Amino acid sequence: MNDTTQKRILVVDDEEDVRLYLTLALEDAGFQVETACDGQEALEKMTANPVDLVSLDLVMPRRSGAAFYRDLQKSAEWRHIPVLIVTGHARDDQGQADFEELTMSGPGIYLEKPVRPDNYVAAVRKLLGIEAAGEAEKGNVAELRRQLEERLKDADSEALKRALDVLKRQ
Amino acid sequence: MMKVSNNPMSQPFDSLHLFDMLPLSVAVVDREWQVVAANRAFEETFGYWKGRACHEAFKSKPARCRNCEAKAVFEDGRIRVGDHQGLDRFGRVCDYSVHFAPIRDESGSITHVLEIASDMTETRRWKAEYDRLFENVPCTISILDRDLRVIRANSTLEKTYGQAIGLPCYRVYKGLATPCENCPAMQTFRDGLEHLSRQSGRTPEGSETHYVVSTSPYRWDADGVDQVIEISTDITQLHLLETELQETHDLYSSLIRNARDGILAVDRRGDVRILNDAARSLIGWDRSEPPDATTLRMMLPSDFFLPEGKMDVVPDREFTIPTQEDDGIGEIPVLFRAVELTGEQHSLGRAAFLQDLSDLRRLEKEKLENERLAAVGQTVAGLAHTIKNLLMGLEGGMYMVDTGLSRGDGERLTQGWDMLQRNFEKTAGMVRDFLSFAKGRVPKLALIDPLQLIRDVVALYRDTAKRLGVTLTVEEGKSLFDALLDRDGIEACLTNLISNAIDAVTLQDRATGTVTVRAYDLGSELIFEVEDDGIGMESEVARQVFTTFFTTKGGKGTGLGLLTTRKIVQEHGGTIELESEPQKGSVFRIHLPRSRLEAIAAEQAVRDSKAETYSSGGKQR
Repeated sequence: MNDTTQKRILVVDDEEDVRLYLTLALEDAGFQVETACDGQEALEKMTANPVDLVSLDLVMPRRSGAAFYRDLQKSAEWRHIPVLIVTGHARDDQGQADFEELTMSGPGIYLEKPVRPDNYVAAVRKLLGIEAAGEAEKGNVAELRRQLEERLKDADSEALKRALDVLKRQ
Repeated sequence: MMKVSNNPMSQPFDSLHLFDMLPLSVAVVDREWQVVAANRAFEETFGYWKGRACHEAFKSKPARCRNCEAKAVFEDGRIRVGDHQGLDRFGRVCDYSVHFAPIRDESGSITHVLEIASDMTETRRWKAEYDRLFENVPCTISILDRDLRVIRANSTLEKTYGQAIGLPCYRVYKGLATPCENCPAMQTFRDGLEHLSRQSGRTPEGSETHYVVSTSPYRWDADGVDQVIEISTDITQLHLLETELQETHDLYSSLIRNARDGILAVDRRGDVRILNDAARSLIGWDRSEPPDATTLRMMLPSDFFLPEGKMDVVPDREFTIPTQEDDGIGEIPVLFRAVELTGEQHSLGRAAFLQDLSDLRRLEKEKLENERLAAVGQTVAGLAHTIKNLLMGLEGGMYMVDTGLSRGDGERLTQGWDMLQRNFEKTAGMVRDFLSFAKGRVPKLALIDPLQLIRDVVALYRDTAKRLGVTLTVEEGKSLFDALLDRDGIEACLTNLISNAIDAVTLQDRATGTVTVRAYDLGSELIFEVEDDGIGMESEVARQVFTTFFTTKGGKGTGLGLLTTRKIVQEHGGTIELESEPQKGSVFRIHLPRSRLEAIAAEQAVRDSKAETYSSGGKQR
């Protein structure tokens, strides 16, 4: 579970609200987050300190998401960094060409805005290879703990002591 | 009959005197071949003869001729005639015909030979000339008898038609077995007159010939014309040229007749020489005779009647021809072109080309309609995108409110609440903008000065630009014709483009920049241009700016500006394009075809008149 705390994510989007939302969602899931408002700033952030995954909008001023993606592909060092496309343009005429280029030959995962926080975090985990297993385990442990606490409330204190003794002896 | 007694020479006749008067050269030769007597003509022709032998006197030859005819006469006493060539006293060759006759004494024995020479030199020359002429004239000549058989033919005839003598003329010239109808030779035999006709023949090799033949009487006898001379001039080449000319004429006539465009041509006097079916149907002329000059003046634009030499500067122009349809009066739009038809020497007349534009107009209208529909489609796609972005903001706000609440994190709760509020405001603003955008305002076109329009818009931004350090200029070229524009619409477009350009300049790293606005005519289009040296765009971005609710200004704009601009331009029948280079700047260019502006204005006029009809009808009720 300490997987996520070491992973750094770069969120690139020109909308401040979107940057804030995605940042919080990722931080809540335990990731470290950098942000950039366009492809240009993203490039600067990458150069200063490379990240483990890029969450990328496509249409932005100055330097677009597609251009930044190509920058990543050109670099031997950055080529293998997973990229998650988060766009509103996926299925309109204008986004189509970029979208096809970036999904068919590229990262393979995209999310169409609006995205729900759990889906977003799940997609990030999947791309980082810490996907469903971690998610499921985390969910199960929480559930088991909750069930355990429920039962502990109702439990006979004598029996509980005996049980603890057994555990201590082992 | 001449009376001898009245003759001035009516002296007692002296035979020697008569001998001297003869116009023939006469000499008497004895058995030794010596000339013993000769008359004056002989002396004048051959010179001194006394003491000379016959061959010396006639021919200046030292020896007797090989087949001496005088010798033969001495031997058998029979008269002979022969052609000889001698030398006259000047040494010139002369041809003469000599008549040899014996002179006998009382006993009947031949003592002398009389030689009478008649000069044939001239005659020979004539004959040679005649023969040359007859044989070599570039005509075929034949002489026909009453059975139409060729009894003489020149070499030109035989060269073309082969052996002719003895064959009937129709066989020779045409290979026919019976005489031709309307045979000119037979007519000449009948009436003794010259006849001229045009005929076609066939050579023995089978190629066709064309000739003009003249027949005239050659010899008469007691029954009338006995022989006819037939002279034919070959006109095969001429005929071929004529045929070619005719074919060319037919070709052009057929092209003109079948052309889809109307073609009308008049000669220099103004008489209609060409009026094809398309032109007839366009101008509604169904009479067989073409329209006269006065009628034409009422039908065609006045350009067609400019003085000679002025027409090459006439531009193509459109005019309408009123029509009477079953469902009322209509009009056909026609593109009219007038040209002067120039020959090598002078003008041959003028032609008008009339192109029916009805179909073209209909297609143009359909195209405009299609473009409008496509714009609607793109607008819907853009709208969807904007809504997605707004939902994203709302989603973010909800997440923050949710998590803020569940964690008891007040700061996050407030942030989330702000985000929700912001996005609700944006939604409201977007809906407001979109409603105004989608109102489907029909442009109200009126003639205005494009340059004045850009001056007015630029004036609105002068202070803002100055404050931001942006140089905003109007580049005034030559003055333009007024254009049919919707003032509010184009003003909105320019406002948009100029405010974008100022933003693009201020977004770049340099402190200052320039925005230039211009209007000019390019071909038949009116162009508006807004150029900046601001941050520019990459091609991915440039491709999308007109078609999506797109903003490069973070959360500040609704992204509707360029979409609205494009919509207004399209409502004017125009297009908008963008050239941009990152860090260099952008040029937005609006193209407005003036012909389309006119078409839209015309549509508008029709709509207005219908609306009027409707409202006046309403009042009556």
